[in-house]
Amino acid sequence: MTTKNNYPSGTSGATSRIHQAQKPPRARLRLLPYALALPIILYELALVVYPIAQGIYGSFQQIELAANSPPTWVGLKNYQRMFSDPDFWKVMQTTLIFTGLVIIVAIGVGLATALLFNRPFRFRPLARAMLMLPWAFPEVPVVMIFVWILSPQFGVVNLLVRWIPGVTTNPQWLQVPVLAMGWVVLIASWKAFPFYSLVILAALQSVPQEIYEAAKVDGANSLQLFWRITVPSIRTTLELLVVLASIFSFKQFTIIYLMTGGGPSGATETIVMRIFNTAFRFYDYSYATALGVAGFVVSLVIAFFFIILQSRRAQENS
Amino acid sequence: MTNMAVSPGATPKKSKVGQTLSTIVLYVTVSVVSVMTVFPIYWMLVSTFQPSKYTLHYPPPLIPKEITFYQFSELFANHPVALWLRNSFLIAMMAMLLCTALTVLGAYTLSSLRWKGRTTFGLFLLVTQMLPEILILIPLYKIYQQLNMLDSLPALSLVDTAFALPICIWILKGVFDTVPTEVLDAAVVDGCTELSVLWHIVLPLSTPGLVAVAVVSFFSAWNEFLFAVIMLTSAEFQPASVGLTTLKATGFTPVEQYMAAGLIFSILPVLFYLIMQRYIISGLTAGAVKG
Repeated sequence: MTTKNNYPSGTSGATSRIHQAQKPPRARLRLLPYALALPIILYELALVVYPIAQGIYGSFQQIELAANSPPTWVGLKNYQRMFSDPDFWKVMQTTLIFTGLVIIVAIGVGLATALLFNRPFRFRPLARAMLMLPWAFPEVPVVMIFVWILSPQFGVVNLLVRWIPGVTTNPQWLQVPVLAMGWVVLIASWKAFPFYSLVILAALQSVPQEIYEAAKVDGANSLQLFWRITVPSIRTTLELLVVLASIFSFKQFTIIYLMTGGGPSGATETIVMRIFNTAFRFYDYSYATALGVAGFVVSLVIAFFFIILQSRRAQENS
Repeated sequence: MTNMAVSPGATPKKSKVGQTLSTIVLYVTVSVVSVMTVFPIYWMLVSTFQPSKYTLHYPPPLIPKEITFYQFSELFANHPVALWLRNSFLIAMMAMLLCTALTVLGAYTLSSLRWKGRTTFGLFLLVTQMLPEILILIPLYKIYQQLNMLDSLPALSLVDTAFALPICIWILKGVFDTVPTEVLDAAVVDGCTELSVLWHIVLPLSTPGLVAVAVVSFFSAWNEFLFAVIMLTSAEFQPASVGLTTLKATGFTPVEQYMAAGLIFSILPVLFYLIMQRYIISGLTAGAVKG
C-alpha cells in the first residue's frame, strides 16, 4: 500500500489554500471516500462475508439440502466427526503435499526461467511472450489438452516415456495414485509458473548492474554472485511469491476436479475437492460446511502471512 | 540488462571458443525450455487442424500431415456451441459492466482520497480475493436456492463480479497512482470537486487501466467454472466453460472437434491476457510488483 498521493489531505499548499478560499462543506468532503467505498463493502458483505457467516452458523446444524425439513442444532457434532475422521487427516495431508509440491515446482521453474530469460539473446521478446502462454490459457481448455495428451491410447506423452528402457506399454496416467498426483502438480505448475517467472524477472531487472560489476572486479565468481547478490536482492519477492503460490494452489479446484475428481481412491483429493464432493456428490451439506470452516481458517492464516509480507515490502519501498 | 552470474563474455579472460560454447548452451537451453512450455498448446493446435485419422493412431505424427477446417462447422452443427458462447458472453458482459463501475469507485478511494478506513478497506479486499471460492459456494447455493436465484445468468454474474472486484480495484488503483499529484492539485485550483477530478482528469488519463479492468472482469467470468457448474442447472443456460466439459464426458466427440471447441473458447482470453499482462500481474500481487 503505497501512500504516494496525499491529495486532498491539505499538505500541498495550493490545495489547502483553495479549500479555505472556497469553503467547501467539510462534512461532505470527509464523507465522500466512505460513500464511494460503501457500495463495494456492501457488495462483498452480501456475496462473500454473509455466505461465510452462514456457513459457520450452518456448521453447528444438521441441514438437509434437498429436503425442506428445518435445520436442527447439533452443536459441535460436525466438528467431532471431522476430527475423528481419518479421511479428514488424509485430505489435509494430500492438500499439504499438493500445495507444497506446486509451490516448489512452480516457483523453482519460475526462478530458473527468469534467470535464463534475464540474459540477452536474440528473439528474447518472442520467447518471453511464448513463455506467458500457459498462464493466459483458461483452466478448462488446459485440462482438455492434458486429458488428451495423457490418453493411454493415443496420448503423445507416451512417445516420450516409451524411450525409457523397460516401458513397453502406455501407462494409465491418471489411474495410478502417484502418477495422478504428479500430473496434477505438473499441470497446475505449468499453468502457474509463467506468472512467477515474470514477477521474478521484474525483480532481477531492478537489481542495479553496478553491484555485479563491482563484485566481479573484486574477483567474485558466478556462484558467489548468485548467492551473495541475486538471492538477497530478490528474497522479499520470493517470500511474497511463496505465500501467493500457497494461496493459489490451496484454492485450486478446476484442474483437479476435471483431471481426476480427487481420485484415484482419494490420491488427489485436497480439502477444496473434499468440500465439493461432500456437498455436491454425497449431499452432506452440514459436514461440508464444517470442512469449509477448516478451509477458511487455513486460508485466513495464509492471508495473514501475505498481509505481513506485503506491509513489510511497502515499508521497504517507501 | 546483462545480469546474472554467468553472463557470457562478461569476463575478459574467457576465450573465444568458450564464449561461443556458452552462447550455444544458452540458445539450446532457451529452445528446450520454450519447446517444453509451448508443446501442450502446439499439440492442441495440431490436434485441432489435423484430421483424426492421423491423430487417432499410435504413435501420432508430431508434425501435421494434413490440415482441414471442416471440424469447426461440424462442431457448431453437432453441439450447442453457439448457445454456450452466447451464455458465456452474456454472463461476462454483465460482470464486466458491474465490476468496472464498482472498480472505478473503489480504486479512487484507495488511490486518491485520504480517509481513516483506507488501509482496512484495502486489507478487506485482499482477504476477499484470497478465499477459496468453494467456501462461499455451499452457503451461497443455499441462499440462492431460497431466493430462487439458481439457474439465472445475471445471478451468476453477481458472484463472478464479487470475485473479480478485489483484483480489479488493485489494478486500477495502481494506474490511478501514476496520475501526478500536481495535475490533481491544479484541477482543484481550477475549482473542480473530487468527483469531477475523477471523471474529467483521472479517468481519461487511465484508459489502459480501465481496459485492463474490463478485460479481467470479462474473462474471469468467461473462464469461471465452479460457480457455473453448480449454479446453472438447465442446458439452455449452460456457459461454454461448463459445456466444454460435457464434450469430454460424452466421449463421442471426434478429437478435432473437441480441440476446436477448446481453441475457440481460449483464443480471446489468451489474446487479451497477453496484451494486458503487465496490469493484471500488478493487480494479482496487490501492487507489490509492478510487472
